[in-house]
Amino acid sequence: MSVPFFVNGESREFDGPDDVPLLWVIREHFGLTGTKFGCGIAACGACTVHVDGQQARSCVLPVGAVRGKQVTTIEGLSKALDHPVQRAWIALDVPQCGYCQPGMIMAVAQFLREHPAPTDDDIDAGVTNLCRCATYARIRAAIHAAAGRKIG
Amino acid sequence: MAPARDEGISRRGFLRGSIVAGASLTVPLFVTACARDGGAAEYAITDWISIQPSGTIVLGVSQPELGQGSYTALPQILADELDADWKNVVVRFVSGKDAYRIAFHASGLHDGTPPIQTEGASMSTTKLTHRLRVAGAQARDALIRAACLRWGHAEADCSTHLGFVVDTKSGKRLSYGELAGSAAKLPLDPYPTLKPPAQFRMIGESVHRVDAPAKCNGSAVFGIDVVVPDMLNAAIRIAPTFTGAVGRVHNEEAVARMAGVHRVVKLPNAVAVVADKFWQAKRAVDALGVEFVAGPGGDLSTAKIDALVQRALDGDAGVMVMNQGDARDILAQRARSVIERRFQVPHIAHAPMEPVNATVHVRDDAVEVWGPIQSVTACETEVARALGRRADEVRLHVTYLGGSFGRKIVPDFVVQAALVAKEVGRPVKLLRTREEDMQHDVYRTNAACRLRAVVDERGYPLAVHARVCGQSLFAAVRPSWLTRTSEGAWDESMVDGLYNQEYRVPNFFVEAIDIPLPVPLYFMRSVGSTAGVFFWESFIADLAYRAKIDQYRYRRELLAHDPAAMKVLDAAAAAAQWGRPTPPNVTRGIAYNCYVGRGGAFRTHVAEVVELERTPAGFAVRKVVCAVDAGLVINPNLVKAQIEGGIGFALTNTLKSRITFSNGRVDQANFPDYPLLAMSEMPQIVSVLVDSDRPPQGVGEVVLAPVAPAVAGAVLQSTATRLDRMPFPAELFAGVRL
Repeated sequence: MSVPFFVNGESREFDGPDDVPLLWVIREHFGLTGTKFGCGIAACGACTVHVDGQQARSCVLPVGAVRGKQVTTIEGLSKALDHPVQRAWIALDVPQCGYCQPGMIMAVAQFLREHPAPTDDDIDAGVTNLCRCATYARIRAAIHAAAGRKIG
Repeated sequence: MAPARDEGISRRGFLRGSIVAGASLTVPLFVTACARDGGAAEYAITDWISIQPSGTIVLGVSQPELGQGSYTALPQILADELDADWKNVVVRFVSGKDAYRIAFHASGLHDGTPPIQTEGASMSTTKLTHRLRVAGAQARDALIRAACLRWGHAEADCSTHLGFVVDTKSGKRLSYGELAGSAAKLPLDPYPTLKPPAQFRMIGESVHRVDAPAKCNGSAVFGIDVVVPDMLNAAIRIAPTFTGAVGRVHNEEAVARMAGVHRVVKLPNAVAVVADKFWQAKRAVDALGVEFVAGPGGDLSTAKIDALVQRALDGDAGVMVMNQGDARDILAQRARSVIERRFQVPHIAHAPMEPVNATVHVRDDAVEVWGPIQSVTACETEVARALGRRADEVRLHVTYLGGSFGRKIVPDFVVQAALVAKEVGRPVKLLRTREEDMQHDVYRTNAACRLRAVVDERGYPLAVHARVCGQSLFAAVRPSWLTRTSEGAWDESMVDGLYNQEYRVPNFFVEAIDIPLPVPLYFMRSVGSTAGVFFWESFIADLAYRAKIDQYRYRRELLAHDPAAMKVLDAAAAAAQWGRPTPPNVTRGIAYNCYVGRGGAFRTHVAEVVELERTPAGFAVRKVVCAVDAGLVINPNLVKAQIEGGIGFALTNTLKSRITFSNGRVDQANFPDYPLLAMSEMPQIVSVLVDSDRPPQGVGEVVLAPVAPAVAGAVLQSTATRLDRMPFPAELFAGVRL
């Protein structure tokens, strides 16, 4: 009943059932509330984190599946808001309500590693998180802006 | 101890050089989740402005931040009149004073409704700009007088510059921080001199959002993120039907023994489980085995609603809203040449990304509430009523709202949390799952319309009869706002966009019919205009099409008497290059509306041109050009964000949103069956802010309504297909954006 893994580079251990969704472990047990609950069924992406460098929707990912792995949350993406995606997001004032944006930023950070110079079609196919405020126009512009910079 | 986290974020660099205070603008920002904190000493100069001896300027904002930019635009107004240095400004949510209340609806004043502290109806900037300018000027004046007292000068010799009072003769200066203590003791001038607009330094500038950094690193505190000492978490299962009640609970004893579970709490129409963690509470509530009684509304269905709607449209039971000229006589005399169309829109859900939630601690001395609250007054009132307490015993700590669109004005979810917390005696955060949020929303109402017209020899409307029916929002939630006549009462929101439409129509008859239903309703972004403007503008597009007149020219002809309307219509057409031929696979539609604020508070003219691309798979909305006359624009960057997002939001309504009912309950539960617009479906947006010398008008809701009829107009032009129901058929709009 104990799952060891790494969160933002630190060794952590969850003492509980291994089928608890990762989302609630990082929010309620580790106090990292930047990762959001939106739908609970991996449909919206508000809970997106990185697991060993891959995007994961943490609301449906059992914590047992990340045993021994590296989990990065929005709090661990950069120390000083200086990841190129965060910088582009702030420069273009992307957030409105902002609730989906941590998940969006995590999804885009990983997307840009795979598509360093994405076309609009790449973005349409590869960025599937939902934003109820429909900030998509600025998200698209910010992705292109961030793509010109080095992705850490 | 501060109950929720306070945020301290520095931002530097990486800001556009063109904005107000230059490229090195730094905004140390904290946005407290609570109204008061035990931080540094500070002196209150006005209800809105406090200054710390260090020179930090604390600007109060009374309007909850749900994405619209209130935490940026409203302090921006204060800072301009105060002549504060933006880099020394921090923003704090404030509540509890009369200065933060606004009169919301003209008829509300007549029926004795007191002013309230709430965000909504696109009112914040319109209602508060002058008040904030006065507050900023009062504080600046008090600081100048404090400096003059210290120097022994006449006020005429003093000026201000970016947080300093300056002696214009000697060049001596004192910072606002040094003067704050003495300025706070001076009486305020009730009629301070306001800046002439030519001297605005921040009003009109694209100041960056103060909340963006915290929203990009996960530190922004939404309701769901609140953590207070000794807090427990609750999950809830609500009776699926609107008239339902809790019946048998099969597994209560077993659930009470589950790990982490503290208590099972039964409410009349819901059962909650309180546990250490939310995931434990959720598992426990799933295991409860609750039976619900459906109640008298258990036979509600969409088929039944549709039958009531058709019967109302065909019947003769309307309440007259307006009657100009002899519309009914002309239509009767020329019955064979009447053009008739019918339109319909469904109930829809707000579906904010943050499901509703609240944290409540019920104590003897006070009831403490933390959460995403859109209306301070409504929340205080309803929580107090539910607990049998006084409203002034309710202490609210308003967090960021993860979307609302009107949903979080209704504090039903706070009341549930309060009732559960009362049983437990500890702070409880109650969070609804997406399914509970969607199936127990307070919905945007349904509406249907029959439009009949006779046109003149050129094809322009001579006489129009509009009959609108639907579940009346006002009858359901604001009966005092109904307009009462000898025939009965009618609901302005049901006929918005029709009875107050701007086109020249010499004979016009409008009537409304309420179809009472048990569906809980509330205001949703753009309210009735989403339906009314869809009906009316689609009909106008059809009349133009039948007359073989260009859609834009047809509207120009009908708006010739209204220069303000013509200005935005022309601006949108020009920006869209309306006259230029399009590629064969591209077609355009256009629509216009004047959005009238509640109680006539403002008038914002909007015109939109939609470009559709026809692909082998279907249509794709490729581009939307939107021209707006919203009066004086405080922050163009924020207004453009509202235009962009508003159009995307409206496209979700137009192409996707539909709540249906079976056996008394909502059929949809989560995003797969209540989809939102996706990135791949978002068009390019071109925003045009038309110059205006009017004071600030509303913005947040105004761009939504013309979207659907502009899309419908483009489809009509392209394929002669008439779209009469929202959402439009998905198979027509399966095109990928190129």
